[in-house]
Amino acid sequence: MPLQLRRAFMILAVVVVGLAVVWAARFDAMPPAEFRFQNGTDPKTLDPHRATGQPESRLLFNMFSGLLQLLPEGPPDPETGVQPMSPHPALATSYDVSADNKTYTFQLRRDAVWSDGVPITAEDFIWSWTRMLHPETACEYNFQLFSVPYAEEYANSVVEVGDRVEVELWDRPGERQGSEPNYQNFPRGTLRYGTLTEITRPPEPEIPEDANKLARAKIMADWQSQWVYTVDLAAVRDGQPMWDEVTGTRSYCRDLASPMATAETEQTHGVLVAFNKLGGIEAPDPYTFIVHLEDPLPYFPYLATYYPLFPVPRHVIEEHGKPMWTRPENIVSNGPYKVGLRKLRDRVRLVKNETWYDADMVQIESIDAMSIEGQNTALNMYTTGQLDWVTDPPGSLIEELKKRDDCIIAPQLSLYYYELNTARPPLDDVRVRRALAMAIDRDQIVREVTRAGQTPAYRVVPPGIQGYDPPPGMEGSLEDARALLTEAGYPGGRGIPKFTILYNTSEGHRAIAEVIQQQWQNNLNVKVDLQNMEWGSFLDKRQQKRFDISRAGWIADYPDPNTFLDLWLTDGPQNNTNWSNLEFDRLLEEAASESDPEKRMQLLAEAEAIWVDEVPAIPIYFYVGLNIVKPHVKGFFPTPQDIHPFHLLRLEKD
Amino acid sequence: MRSLLGFLVRRFGWMLLTLWAVYTVSFILIKLAPGSPFSAERAVTPAIEQQLRARFNLDGPALQQYTDYLWNIFTRGDLGWSLKLEDYSVNQVIAEGFPVSASLAVFALVFAIILGVSAGVISAVYRGTMADLSMMTTAVLGIAIPNFVLASLAILLFVFMIPIFPAAGWGTLRQVALPAFCLGAPVAAYIARLTRAGMLESLNREHVRTAFAKGLSHRTVVLKHVLPGAMLPVVSYLGPATAGVLTGSLVLEKIFALPGMGSHFIYAATQRDTFLATGMVLTYTVLLFTMNTLVDLAYAVIDPRVELE
Repeated sequence: MPLQLRRAFMILAVVVVGLAVVWAARFDAMPPAEFRFQNGTDPKTLDPHRATGQPESRLLFNMFSGLLQLLPEGPPDPETGVQPMSPHPALATSYDVSADNKTYTFQLRRDAVWSDGVPITAEDFIWSWTRMLHPETACEYNFQLFSVPYAEEYANSVVEVGDRVEVELWDRPGERQGSEPNYQNFPRGTLRYGTLTEITRPPEPEIPEDANKLARAKIMADWQSQWVYTVDLAAVRDGQPMWDEVTGTRSYCRDLASPMATAETEQTHGVLVAFNKLGGIEAPDPYTFIVHLEDPLPYFPYLATYYPLFPVPRHVIEEHGKPMWTRPENIVSNGPYKVGLRKLRDRVRLVKNETWYDADMVQIESIDAMSIEGQNTALNMYTTGQLDWVTDPPGSLIEELKKRDDCIIAPQLSLYYYELNTARPPLDDVRVRRALAMAIDRDQIVREVTRAGQTPAYRVVPPGIQGYDPPPGMEGSLEDARALLTEAGYPGGRGIPKFTILYNTSEGHRAIAEVIQQQWQNNLNVKVDLQNMEWGSFLDKRQQKRFDISRAGWIADYPDPNTFLDLWLTDGPQNNTNWSNLEFDRLLEEAASESDPEKRMQLLAEAEAIWVDEVPAIPIYFYVGLNIVKPHVKGFFPTPQDIHPFHLLRLEKD
Repeated sequence: MRSLLGFLVRRFGWMLLTLWAVYTVSFILIKLAPGSPFSAERAVTPAIEQQLRARFNLDGPALQQYTDYLWNIFTRGDLGWSLKLEDYSVNQVIAEGFPVSASLAVFALVFAIILGVSAGVISAVYRGTMADLSMMTTAVLGIAIPNFVLASLAILLFVFMIPIFPAAGWGTLRQVALPAFCLGAPVAAYIARLTRAGMLESLNREHVRTAFAKGLSHRTVVLKHVLPGAMLPVVSYLGPATAGVLTGSLVLEKIFALPGMGSHFIYAATQRDTFLATGMVLTYTVLLFTMNTLVDLAYAVIDPRVELE
């Protein structure tokens, strides 16, 4: 290499390094927000129909408004300090419930607008709930609306001959017959309405013995896409189908290559029950929204305060599609705050939404939801004044933190438990399950391992639900446990096979599993192995029911025993234990259709008594909520579901 | 110049081949891993999972998925959508995280080179003195102490005892200082030792003795005749060092709450975020390849005996 060139390279290198430093040192100066808090993991999405976790809910509850909202009501619990929360008007100024508790009529406020000024009407709710339930949205919380007629059938794409259906033609934007599908399910293709008169199916394919769950689903889905639906089309007037006025008969199929399809068959995205045209939800005028329920659910107002039921901006979603509509430059919301900026794994900045109907109530102008996962990091930032609220303080410092005035500890409606696989011997023997549950010293666990003031759990429903009188919990001494084991044929633990406790990788879960391992060994001479897995594999193994004993946790979706009890329904999606009890199922069903609240609670308590007796899982403790909040933040109080409306917070200037 | 161009073209060809191999291996590994990107605590029904898979083109035969995704990457540079950070495409995730990681790496490396080379030169020139001994002891410690321990110490010292730096976060120069220091310190220590060894070797060379004999000042001899020769091992170390700084930032990202790229690597893998995991692996492959190529180039520039091939 010639000398000049080498010189040039040297100079170039120096220049490049210099430029790199200059580039690296450039930061957009961003003034800190007035209020900053630790939000844990980066939010998965800001789409209310796709979100599930806590970090998302802290944002969504404050970015969007629903029909109702949870606000404090009544005095705090004198013992625990927990402030009860109850549903209050939000977008609905008031609501009436019919005598049979099955029809809710919401009067909507007339001044509600999206943050871009577009007004919000009852139609927005119809559209949003339809989107939430639409099978292609795959909203994990869609079951919350399943007591609205046809909602469940709609969400699970179940249709039968004779149903009144909607047919979505293959003409979403950019589509033509035979083209690749457009996966944006909104805006939808042209909708035809009619009565399903026939489904012609090709012969059912044989599923190979060794096919796994996914392969099965794929084969079934391919087969179903070949079904041809014959529909008597109904006339449509003013957007309402006239079901009895048949205008013609057409056939539809998703896959035009289907052997059952004819030349006249039109391509469709799917034939679904016409959920939003069958009177389950209605908008008789722009400011009245009516919901009909199949069961008199006393907790329905609570569901209406939950973000999956909030309206979403149709005009923005149809313009930008999913997921582009949630980009900070596109997203439009209707709550006390809107998104100012979002930096991945750094923060979501919320700024006051001046167009919110109650904007005068909002005192804090800007809020940073910081994506900080490190527990120590968050506490360090709090101590040095970079954060005002820590949501996940370090477990190892609990003892110290508990003594501080700014540490707010309160019981939560959530349970930590071990699922038992009741299909695997000897766990199929209820005596063995009871013995295992009795032989755990829960006091030792909460005192020496978790240490934040958790309550030992002997039942499935946490305390603190109004009107619920729980049955007695699991009882029994070590002697009883040993006697039960002997009765089951394992005197002194002899002959009992070794179990494995499965848990997702975490220091906390390991510590608890180790204590239980030791207690079972010492108390019953039952040996267990511990197996930890990272989250993905752990879920997989649990859902495929390939475990003996698995760690689990559940947080109330709404403050009612039902949210903990319906986990255990026979073949329920959350029931990984293979446990099935028809009497339990029947009691829950009866409770759902019971309109007398007192009687309903009794039925639920009876169901819980069966659960306690049958032990499909071992309850260990009820969680506590732990928040560390700066003293200058006023209006922060512990709540049963750890929900803290930001518009109630006040910052006291020193 | 010809040889330079030829070298770059050859290297580029090798990089494409390596990328393809890396892509294939990671594709197979991801397919073999248990669990699904769509599994959640509230189990999704098989029908819904099927729809989600179709949306992300994960439902066809494996070979089809393999070629479709490869084709999208190759023709449009489109790495697909992140399955777990639903609001982002993989390209956006990288576009937001890379500048942070890169900026941190630049500071860490510049700091490491300046500190390491100066310490190495001083140690070599004053070898056997207390200064040499203390600096080399520090260097050994710097290599031995893992960066999360160093980070804890640094936080204790510079955040709580002498409050001059913020505890964590990203967005100002002061917030970069501590993580860059912790990330660069082991590199600096290593560079110091390499420089010192190289210097000592060069100081005994004949051309150096000639330079001294000509009556050149001590300073000129050290800077002009000793240092360049001593830099060769340092330069060859910089390639892997850059890689280490870019990938090793992961622990520090958590401790200092930095929105860099490192953590995505782990999350994508553990949460079965198929596309993000592949995207991260490919990005790191490109980075490593580029760095190694630059090192080889620098080698040829510093040492006239080295030919590019």
